[in-house]
Amino acid sequence: EIGISKEEALEALQVVRQACHGDAARTAEGSGTTRKCTALELLEEEQAQGFIITFCSALDNILGGGVQLTKITEICGAPGVGKTQLCMQLAVDVQIPECFGGVAGEAVFIDTEGSFMVDRVVDIATACVQHCQLIAEAHQEEDHLKALETFCLESILSHIYYFRCRDYIELLAQVYLLPDFLSEHSKVRLVIVDGIAFPFRHDFEDLSLRTRLLNGLAQQLIIIANDHKSAVVLTNQMTTRVGQSQSILVPALGESWGHAATVRLIFHWDNSRRLATLYKSPSQKESTIPYHITSHGFRDVQPPAVTQNAEGTEMNPRKRARREEEK
Amino acid sequence: MDWDQFDLNPKVIAALKKADIKSIKEILNFSGADLQRLMKLSSADIQCLLKTVSHMLRRNSMLTALQLYQDKDHLTSQHQKLSLGCSVLDNLLKGGIPLVGITELAGESSAGKTQISLQLCLCVQYPYKYGGLESGAVYICTEDVFPSKRLQQLIDQQHKLRADIPAEIIQKIKFGNSIFVEHAADLDTFHNCVTKRISLLLTRGMVRLVVIDSIAALFRCEFGVSDSVMKARYLQTFGAQLHSLSTRFRTPIMCINQTLQILKVQPFFYGYFPVTRADNRVLPALGITWANQLLMRLMVSRISQPEQSSGVASHHPGSVRTLRVVFAPHLPPSSCYYTVKLEGVKGIK
Repeated sequence: EIGISKEEALEALQVVRQACHGDAARTAEGSGTTRKCTALELLEEEQAQGFIITFCSALDNILGGGVQLTKITEICGAPGVGKTQLCMQLAVDVQIPECFGGVAGEAVFIDTEGSFMVDRVVDIATACVQHCQLIAEAHQEEDHLKALETFCLESILSHIYYFRCRDYIELLAQVYLLPDFLSEHSKVRLVIVDGIAFPFRHDFEDLSLRTRLLNGLAQQLIIIANDHKSAVVLTNQMTTRVGQSQSILVPALGESWGHAATVRLIFHWDNSRRLATLYKSPSQKESTIPYHITSHGFRDVQPPAVTQNAEGTEMNPRKRARREEEK
Repeated sequence: MDWDQFDLNPKVIAALKKADIKSIKEILNFSGADLQRLMKLSSADIQCLLKTVSHMLRRNSMLTALQLYQDKDHLTSQHQKLSLGCSVLDNLLKGGIPLVGITELAGESSAGKTQISLQLCLCVQYPYKYGGLESGAVYICTEDVFPSKRLQQLIDQQHKLRADIPAEIIQKIKFGNSIFVEHAADLDTFHNCVTKRISLLLTRGMVRLVVIDSIAALFRCEFGVSDSVMKARYLQTFGAQLHSLSTRFRTPIMCINQTLQILKVQPFFYGYFPVTRADNRVLPALGITWANQLLMRLMVSRISQPEQSSGVASHHPGSVRTLRVVFAPHLPPSSCYYTVKLEGVKGIK
């Protein structure tokens, strides 16, 4: 094609191949090259991966520390339960400086439903900065104060890269472009797709095409998570599965999609309480914890106020607390 | 599609033409492996092709959250909302109805849903400075006849409701002329209405509010128990069409929904997650399929007797209602009281 003979072409290829091998030998990682290492090395590497905290310690605990980098975490739930709230919280929390226990990263937010409300992100970011300021005041360490000089509302907002995708074609195109974007913005440690189901749940006469496209998407996201040492967080809808005796709610997009995420969380209601169930995880056991959404963002549920005992006489609150601890 | 104008390898262009691929959308509809098979090209070539066409589709699509926040332009800013015409109600909603997305207003009959919707049809016509969108509204009736008499009453009393707006501005607006009423009692008529009539009105800039009164009525008779898959498909298709129109034209879609009584609360079963907070024993109709399409859900209800005898409600016997935010990405669950007066819907502090 470029007008050289076959022999010259082969020679050029050999030179290039040798140069590639040389590079691979020098760097420890290279996408597309294989590398032998022991399971111990892999374990150590995995444990060294950062976590993005959620500000709900109960949720962080059942996740093993928080939302893990290099993994895909899926949040499923009915409308209004708090999936987008957690995504907005994570887009702020990923930016927490290292001296405060964060990963000092940036975030990509891909919005397919139009539910990203920047005023809400401002509330969450402001509360996060205040939280760090309180820590800095308590500890009075120099690196805390220095970090706070650049960790402020404008800086947080400027490091959330927002993409609005109006249908599945735009979403697919955006994901094809992500690797290059992440190479240019190497501090990104979190990619959010809110939500993955919305664009794929209408318009598809051919469900097998949908499955193929979703599989391709999942594969690309897995590669992105690994190559760029980022957490990928997806939100999914719930759908009704009609059973023999009763219908149940299950995550949307079908059985095969269930394999895409490494970690699956299901958010749901119990009367007026919000609960998060860790439904799938390679390392943590399945558990359910309550969470709360305040004006500051995603948080733990405060312990309930002390109540009267069964006999109806009010106990001294402090006495009561000690009793509980003794149990 | 003229592939020659793209920055692509000639052999890729040749393969595109040979496979008779005519658009970017068509390319992206194939998975990487499908494309390789179809065009008989290497994986590297296909990756390059996918990136190039994706770039064509999505260049300049990024904004930072800071840019979104600082955008003061009333034509594109997220801060802009459609006012409800009452400062108490607007405060509950932090400004009013968001411009992009489907907002649902659910409630029992005679709770005030139609009243609020009619009021919105007037509010949308005011200048931006007064919380309007300087445009008309289209009102789709699926069940009852359009309440024209009530609309006329509201128009006549606008000066009383909107004391914040100078009288000359109110007098200049010919409210009735900019409210387009459509009737659609079945799904096919509704589908035509949305895809043709509403599209046209939006394209011409004649309306910037769509009210559907009610969405539940369309689905009540036509689907039996065994048609749930069909019903879900219709709901998703309509939801997607409305959502798409709303996004394209930055126009709020207000869907009125009815409610159902829950007779029995289902026990928690492993894998069974309750659909919504069942604390009121009243659920909006159409289930989770429809709820998944919504940006914001509001519920209106009449106040129960014990609540009515205390404080606020006692001053306005008989006509006090509650407006509740059930979910919204930017609002906490909250509520306020309101009454329906001759001049319209007014919140009570």
